[in-house]
Formats: sequence, structure tokens, C-alpha cells
Amino acid sequence: MRFIPILRNSDRIRVFLVSATMILGALGSAHAASLPQIVHARQEHFRMLGRTAKSLRDQFGRRRLNWAAIGSDAQALDRLASELPSWFPPGSGQGHGVKTRARAVIWTNPQAFAQAAHMLLFRAQGLTRAAAHHDRRALMLNARALGHACGSCHSRFRAHSGWW
Amino acid sequence: MPAARRIRVWDLPTRIAHWSIVSLFGVCWWTAKSDHMQWHRLAGYGMLAAVWFRLAWGFWGGETARFGHFVRGPGTTLQYVRKLFARGDEAAPAPIGHNPLGALSILAMVGLLLTQTTFGLFAVNVDGFASGPLSRWVSYSAGRRFAHWHGANFNLLLVVVAIHLTAIGFYRWIRKERLIPAMIHGHKTVSAPIQEPYFVPWWRAIALATGIGICVALIANIGSLA
Repeated sequence: MRFIPILRNSDRIRVFLVSATMILGALGSAHAASLPQIVHARQEHFRMLGRTAKSLRDQFGRRRLNWAAIGSDAQALDRLASELPSWFPPGSGQGHGVKTRARAVIWTNPQAFAQAAHMLLFRAQGLTRAAAHHDRRALMLNARALGHACGSCHSRFRAHSGWW
Repeated sequence: MPAARRIRVWDLPTRIAHWSIVSLFGVCWWTAKSDHMQWHRLAGYGMLAAVWFRLAWGFWGGETARFGHFVRGPGTTLQYVRKLFARGDEAAPAPIGHNPLGALSILAMVGLLLTQTTFGLFAVNVDGFASGPLSRWVSYSAGRRFAHWHGANFNLLLVVVAIHLTAIGFYRWIRKERLIPAMIHGHKTVSAPIQEPYFVPWWRAIALATGIGICVALIANIGSLA
């Protein structure tokens, strides 16, 4: 049995072109759907980062520190900081039809962004070490340095003030 | 027509509170824009103290600073507005202290500044580090909402400040009343037979400022007291 014997060669080409267009369209729409997902996931990661940092900071005011909670938060921050560069795949910034505050400079100057991300990780690791040694002074210093690392990154790579 | 004479209308505490609010407003704005959150927080404590003082001085301060002296009902305010653009004998008299429209401006300003500073106490920065002193009693999400309201309320404050400045310009160039110098040196030149306002002893301002300072310091350090 021959495959669709009634079609001529020119019709086959048309069917091929229409099918290819549909498949490419479907792939394109799948890509368009994935970009908001990437941005949404990134925002969720940053919320988690902020939530964890706040949880850690809320401990600081107490006279007796809860080192178990601090250690857990510090480790979570350490892990999130190590993952941070992967939240910014190329094409997921402003100007790609999706609402985000990630400035284009992240991708136009990847070296600067990588350095900033590395600094964040360095500070987060310092925090984890201080928490492991129950060193209150080092913890405060590293937390402050981590806060500065966050603020410095926001001022360069985020298109809005950190407060609103 | 009685001879013009120079009378005292604003006492020193009112003027200090007024110019403290003006300068701290600028500092708060700049430190928020430039992300100097440590300074923003300190300026915010200063603003909280200045607004609380002005509020308290509105009840226990000198006559012209008291809300009971300058806040008027809708009828009096409307009557004042109708005569605002009139000339000669028909013109609205220039009251010593705040006029009925200025009273509305002050109520709006003090209300918005109180709201602003309260929101700031609970606000949480996006990274969770720079936060208000009472933020530990709210979740990260709630703290972020306070931060957003803090930003939105600031825009309302900008509108009220713009109206306030426009009104000062109107009084300066249309009604020929110089409001800013009076708020600097505390005196006005009047020709109408007006009774001079009464003022309260200076120790009352010191006592109020000390009490408010202690309250604000406690709020700033409340985390370490828990």
C-alpha cells in the first residue's frame, strides 16, 4: 500500500511546509511559556533567599542565639548563593517580553555579574563558618557583609530600589 | 488704621519640629533612593520622633501650634476659600498661625507621615537584611507588603508636599504673605488689632522631647530587649 497515493509532489511539499510551520509554532509557544516560568522560578528563589535572610536576621536581636536555627539558615543561604548564577539563563532579562527587574547588564557584562555572585557566595560561606563555630561577632560581621553584597548587586543589576 | 507691629507667632519648638521634618524628609528620600538603608533607618527614627513631637505639641504646645486653635470646620474653611481671591475689605483676613486651608495641609501631612513611619517600622527589604525594628514580628511577605505601602504612601506625601509648596508660593506672590520667614524667625508683622498668642514654658518641650526620644530609642532597640 502506497502512502497517500492521491497527493502529488507539489501537495506533499505543501503538507510538509504546513506541518513544519505548526511544529515550529508549537515549539515556539513552548519556549514562550518557559520564559515566564524561568522568571517566576527566579523570583521565587529570591523570595526564599529573602525569607531565609530575614529568619536569620530575626535571631540577631535575641540575647540567646538559637545556633541550630542560625546554622540551618546559613546553610540554606550558602546553597542558594551557590545556585544563584544558574537562575539567570541568557534571554531571561528585560526586553524579552516578560516582566522582570533583571537588567541587561547581567548578560552584557557577565564577568561583573559572576564576580558579584562569587562575592555573595564568599560571604554566605563565611556566615556558615561563623554559625558552625558559634562565633557571634563573626556572624554579625559576615551578615552585614552579606547584606552589603546583596545591596551592591541590586544597585547594579536590578532595575529598581530594593524597597519597593 | 492701627500701626503695624511685629508679634511672635511661632515658638521655637514648633519651628524646630517643622524644619526637622523638612530636612529629614529630604534625607529619608535620598537615602532610600541611593540604598543607604542604615542611614535611612536612622533618619526614619528622627522623623518618627519629630512627627510624634509635633503631634504632642499640637495638644500641649503654644496657642498657634495647637490643633484646637487652627483646625476649623467645613463651614469656616469654605468661607475662607471663598474670600481667598478677593481683594481689599472682602479679602480673607490673614490669621495669626495657620489658616483653615493650612490646617488641612498639616492634618494630611502629619497623618501621612505617621502612616509612613509606622509602615517603615515593619517594612522588610527585598533581601531580608535591611528591615524596620518591628519587622521581626511580621512574616517576610507581610514585611514586603509594608515596604510596598511605604513606597506608595511616599508618593502621596510627595503630592501633599507639592500642594504645600504651591500654596506657599500662592501666599507669597498673590496674597503678599511671607510664610517661610515667619517659620524661620517666628514673627509676623500685623496691622490688625490682634491679641498676641500665648506660649507655654520651654521645659514642657524638653520634657516631651525627652519622653519621645526614650520611646523611639526603645523601639529602635526593641529587638535586643526581647
